[in-house]
Amino acid sequence: MQRKNRNIKSQLFKVGFFFLIIGILIFFSSPLKKLRNEVFEEMRLAIFKLDINEDNTTINNINTENLEIITENNEVKEENDKKANYSYIGELSIPSIRLQRGFVSKESKYNNVNYNITIANEADYPDVPSGNFILMAHSGNAYISFFDKLYRLQIGDKASVSYNAVTYNYQLTKIYNQAKTGTVAIYRNPSVKTLTLITCTHNDDYNQTIYIFEEI
Amino acid sequence: MDLSLVEKVLTFLKIPFQSFLTIEIFLIFIILYIFLVYNEKRNNKKVKIFLTALIIFFIFLLIFYFQEDISIVFSEIIKTLMRCFYFPNIIFYFLTVIITLIVLIYTIFKPNITRLNKIITYAITLTDLFLFTNFISLAISNNTSLTNTANIYQHDEMFILVLVSQIIFLILIIYKSIYHFCYIKHQKLKNTQ
Repeated sequence: MQRKNRNIKSQLFKVGFFFLIIGILIFFSSPLKKLRNEVFEEMRLAIFKLDINEDNTTINNINTENLEIITENNEVKEENDKKANYSYIGELSIPSIRLQRGFVSKESKYNNVNYNITIANEADYPDVPSGNFILMAHSGNAYISFFDKLYRLQIGDKASVSYNAVTYNYQLTKIYNQAKTGTVAIYRNPSVKTLTLITCTHNDDYNQTIYIFEEI
Repeated sequence: MDLSLVEKVLTFLKIPFQSFLTIEIFLIFIILYIFLVYNEKRNNKKVKIFLTALIIFFIFLLIFYFQEDISIVFSEIIKTLMRCFYFPNIIFYFLTVIITLIVLIYTIFKPNITRLNKIITYAITLTDLFLFTNFISLAISNNTSLTNTANIYQHDEMFILVLVSQIIFLILIIYKSIYHFCYIKHQKLKNTQ
């Protein structure tokens, strides 16, 4: 009888332990997904930087090699770009909040807040003079909340954008909130090149925050 | 950093007596040690539980005090493990292959291992080594430099090969750990009977 009781207890313990492990896994699944995403992001950025170095080598070769070869290379590159939609075209970096993330071209299907930091359709690329480069992403606790730490930014914080092997440096000059209505008004100095980051306001379901950086 | 051996030892010995707090911490740990050693003779269960709770309380106090730093440390540990799993650098990957090779050779020459265990171990280790040779041949055909980790993982085939290889290595480690754990338990049961 005692042995039977012990067996039942031991089996109950095993079942309880099993459910405990499953519970822990479910509880930590979101933060783990976020960390996994960060690890993959690091590697994507490393590959992107590798590609930049390779591209720079090609640019250096333009002056010395004949044009026909370059045209062929461009065709191959275009074909590769069609295949690999996820390849980054640039990188956003904000050291004060340890944010470092790549972004894809506007045309890519991965230029979507559910995959990446997203370039707004109305945005100019960073190489356009006096242009406004607009990036958007989720905030919160989900693993796709790439702008979850933006609320820690303070006026004067620095950011940089690498695009076409050139780094553009910016400084935060303005932060303001707007109601979530589906559209957003951007108040900036039109004579200066700017970087605009848009995300949901921290701990607020009805507003969005706009961060305006100006080039330095 | 540039201290001599004697200076290193002297600095280490001075650390517990630097301030009142460090002396206090040093004394607490000495008392904890004495309690634990003394309790080995008395074997009092309540003291054991109390001391364990006290040590855990100290650790949690530290975690609470440095909450943000500790959370960064934990996430970095998990990220390092994930990096080792998804994108191991070539040194780590070679190390896993060497361990697999050692396990295979040990299994071949160890006489008192069950046949089933040998068959399973051969299957897992040989699959892992097969994937490694595939990885090397792909690196040669793609002309990939293995020193730069990003260079390896820009090729999808190599990423998949390493990932499957890591999964198999993990299975090998889990299988061997469970087997040895069960084997030791079984031996203990046999001895007590």
